[in-house]
Amino acid sequence: MAEKKVFGLLAEFDSAQSIYPACEAVRDEGFKHWDAHVPFPVHGLDRAMGLGPSKVPWIVLGMGLLGATLGFTLEWWTMVVEYPTPIAGKPFFSWPAFVPVTFELGVLFASLGAVFGMFGINRMPTFHHPLFSSERFGAFSDDKFFISIEARDPLFDERKTKKLLKKLGATHIEEVMEE
Amino acid sequence: MSSHAHAHMPTAAEATLDKGHVLRKLPVPLAVLGVAGIALAFVTAGDDHTQFWFSYLTAYMFWLSAGLGALFFVLIHHGTRAGWSALVRRVAENWMITLPLLFLLGLPIVLGGLESLYTPWVNPKPDDIMVVEKQAWLNPTSFLIAFLICGGLWTAFSLYLYRGSRKQDASGDPAIADRLRWWAPLGYVTFGLTITVAAVNFMMSLDPHWYSTIFGVYYFGGTFMFFMAILSLSMMGIQRAGLLKEHVTAEHYQDIGKLAFAFVVFWSYIAFSQFMLIWYANIPEETLWFAHRAEGGWEWVTLLLALLHFAVPFFFLMSRHIKRRKTTMALGAILLVVAHLIDMFWIIQPTMTQHVTGHSHFGLALSDLLAVVGIGGLVCAVFFWRLGAAPVVVLNEPRMDESVGFENY
Amino acid sequence: MAMVKDALDPVHGRAPLILGNPSYKDITEAVARPIELSNYRGWWVGFLVSASLLGVLLVSIGYLFWEGTGIWGVNNPVGWGWAIVNFVFWVGIGHAGTLISAVLFLFRQRWRTSINRFAEAMTIFAVICALIFPGIHVGRVWVVYYMFPVPNQMDMWPNFMSPLLWDVFAVSTYFTVSLLFWYVGLIPDFATMRDRSVSKVRKLVYAIFALGWRGSMRAWVNYERAYALLAAIATPLVLSVHSVVSFDFAVSFLPGWHTTIFPPYFVAGAIFSGFAMVLTLAIPARKIFKLEHIINEKHLENMAKVILLTGSLVGYAYAMEFFVAWYSGNPYEQFTFINRATGSFGWAYWIMVTCNVITPQFFWFKKLRRNVTVLFILSIFVNIGMWFERFVITMSLSADNLPSSWDYFKPTFWDISTLVGSFGLFFTLFFLFLRWIPMVAISEVKGVLPQANPHSHHGSVSGEDAYVDSAKEVLAHG
Repeated sequence: MAEKKVFGLLAEFDSAQSIYPACEAVRDEGFKHWDAHVPFPVHGLDRAMGLGPSKVPWIVLGMGLLGATLGFTLEWWTMVVEYPTPIAGKPFFSWPAFVPVTFELGVLFASLGAVFGMFGINRMPTFHHPLFSSERFGAFSDDKFFISIEARDPLFDERKTKKLLKKLGATHIEEVMEE
Repeated sequence: MSSHAHAHMPTAAEATLDKGHVLRKLPVPLAVLGVAGIALAFVTAGDDHTQFWFSYLTAYMFWLSAGLGALFFVLIHHGTRAGWSALVRRVAENWMITLPLLFLLGLPIVLGGLESLYTPWVNPKPDDIMVVEKQAWLNPTSFLIAFLICGGLWTAFSLYLYRGSRKQDASGDPAIADRLRWWAPLGYVTFGLTITVAAVNFMMSLDPHWYSTIFGVYYFGGTFMFFMAILSLSMMGIQRAGLLKEHVTAEHYQDIGKLAFAFVVFWSYIAFSQFMLIWYANIPEETLWFAHRAEGGWEWVTLLLALLHFAVPFFFLMSRHIKRRKTTMALGAILLVVAHLIDMFWIIQPTMTQHVTGHSHFGLALSDLLAVVGIGGLVCAVFFWRLGAAPVVVLNEPRMDESVGFENY
Repeated sequence: MAMVKDALDPVHGRAPLILGNPSYKDITEAVARPIELSNYRGWWVGFLVSASLLGVLLVSIGYLFWEGTGIWGVNNPVGWGWAIVNFVFWVGIGHAGTLISAVLFLFRQRWRTSINRFAEAMTIFAVICALIFPGIHVGRVWVVYYMFPVPNQMDMWPNFMSPLLWDVFAVSTYFTVSLLFWYVGLIPDFATMRDRSVSKVRKLVYAIFALGWRGSMRAWVNYERAYALLAAIATPLVLSVHSVVSFDFAVSFLPGWHTTIFPPYFVAGAIFSGFAMVLTLAIPARKIFKLEHIINEKHLENMAKVILLTGSLVGYAYAMEFFVAWYSGNPYEQFTFINRATGSFGWAYWIMVTCNVITPQFFWFKKLRRNVTVLFILSIFVNIGMWFERFVITMSLSADNLPSSWDYFKPTFWDISTLVGSFGLFFTLFFLFLRWIPMVAISEVKGVLPQANPHSHHGSVSGEDAYVDSAKEVLAHG
């Protein structure tokens, strides 16, 4: 029978005020494979964790330009090349009339980029995760704050890391097993 | 250690220019430059003075935006009990307080320039029904009365808001803040109506056959965008002069930049709507205005306007990093200043040749530049005078604590 | 610190956003409890009434498809009747939700967190109601796909010169983006519901929609950025949608229709009616669900102020139209405006002016802005007024350039039943929302509580900490 491996340690904190310095400390210790789990994005916690800026804006910009280009091309092709119809005596290539749809498609694609780009980077959906096996973990979406440090981190040591988390003010620490 | 260093509130000493500071010496030379600029513009513009008046009007509507944009900013600050703008409020008020001067500077147009600028309705042809119909509004007396009311209201509001602000320096009495805030909504209504009248009378009536219900909004959009640009540049200048070095941060520049960007987009939306609707219905009465800006060399100015007032700043100011850094934001701001001047030029000047020949022909005159320098010199003289005469922040601003050390998303 | 004169509008500091100093858990409980209760008689009453009105809508649409658009009161010259009025009415209402979600977010108005979920839901349902009308009014419903740029058997492509087609793109985009924005905001709250659920079925359904959300800060970083970008994108979108709707009228050369101020005027009017609808819904809902501490007097007052502002913008537009109609010297334009007020549809005009111009003026008075009954009644008047505004605009058609063509428009039974039925659709969707989806953005509200600031401690003065100190102050001084 295969032995279940340790996924990592899950430490529980009571407040935004206590998790903030704890994250700074974990970051300063040099851990790389770890995360904080919070009911709302605690202001500045990403800096406390040493996280870099998100890549989502680039996806949005790219998708927005793509959408606008597609929109304009669609209009140009249908109105000028494929099915030109004289309307109100205006020239076939009437660019002022093409602006609204170009804009809307740009916006649509940019939004799709924002949402699905974010899902992609966040690897959402991921329905199975070792942390869900913890009974107390569900409180992250209510009123508790957690730090999880994964066992695969080179600096991870069950005893030492547990001691560190306790020193940082964790009210409860548990070991989480892989699924 | 917390990464949230608590910035301290600016003291009176940190916010006041030293007696011998170079910025304090600017008002007089600027005023001299201003008078000289206007005089030289007059002299170089030619015998019939028409060119002078067109240059003067262009420069006037350009600089009027500084005062009006500032007035709107201060009104919004009070009406919404804004927090982030507490640090920059005094600088905005220093621009706002140029309004009484701008009132005076408008009088020459109203008292002496009407015949040169608005020939079609000052001396209307008797069979020009479209002008005859609106003579009740477009005649020198009504024009003067309308301007006196608008200028009077601008003066009244700017003086009231400025005086109240100076009283706050002294006492910080919350009752003052309450009073200022009480007047703000009435200020909005006044602002909206007066800026519309100014735009309609000074600019739209240049071509009395043409009309557009959105014209007031159009001028407003450009005005506020322009003001955000000069506010940004002003704050950079003040920090360069050694004041508020730690207080005004990337966060403030980003906020000002965001508003500048928002109004680039807003102006573009209004400008495009106005154009597209008129283009689409294709009614000659209305399209002629745009046709005049697509002939005689003006088509290049139109293109330049679209580029510099929309396309370039849209992509440039979109970036968070650009808005947060002074060097790049300064570039963006300067671009917007130039764009607003081109906008005023583009609205006003085609009518100069149009009045004479019926067609617009592009022309640039020395008096154009001189008038901008002239009126600008006087307006900036007032700005620097007030900048040196009082602290550059509102001491005892009720929400200074929210402005110092705030962070953007 | 000086004594606070008006607790809701202090000179220093800010009024507390949520009353009663709740904990995170209190917020979760307040919002999640109502949708976990099993006995829900009141809900059933509301739902069944709405569903029956929805039935009326379905019957009306069924009969319309069977018999044709002749069942409506549309005639010559009034070729556009209630369909377009209802379409613009519903799209307009949707705008408030996006404004609250997106624009107020960009302005860092933290009070939006109590109402944004609610308002965004309202937007989506309003847009669904709006989209019905262009779909059903085409006459030949079996070729409605001609509207879309897809290859068809006639080798035909849509007419991109037509604002009605721009509407298809604008409103569909608006619907999609609003739905995405609303859903993204819901993910952390679905996680909350998932983690609380006792019943296995509920847990499964919430879990699917929560997409495995674990509150990971790494994920929050991307989430926050996406949310802010959606807000930044949705802002010009909301401006563009009702502008494109206004283009339906303004690109024509009809007097009273063709005027350049239509785009921003329509947008202002949309926000005006949308906020009124939010008030109409939020006032009863907060009472029934006992959320008066979360959607409190401050929120209602702020909404009233927005209504006053946008109502004034609409008033400005009326004034500009009137002035320029005179200024233009165009006799047809002048006639149209005078006829609106004194002609056969004058009765509609005066309802519109009373409801749109006079009603918001009451909100200059603080006492009235903070009176829940007044707010509720006036919000309904505003929406009546805004429906009539679109009606008055459309009815300009009845007195067009040739007096011999003039005719009066009378709605038929089916015009009325379709409008009433659309309210049924709206409320049915809304009741379904109330039943299963947290109606307040739980995680966002937690984020604006004083204790959410990791740097809050006594004596601090900078930035958002002002909220912390003043909240305590205001509660202490009352």
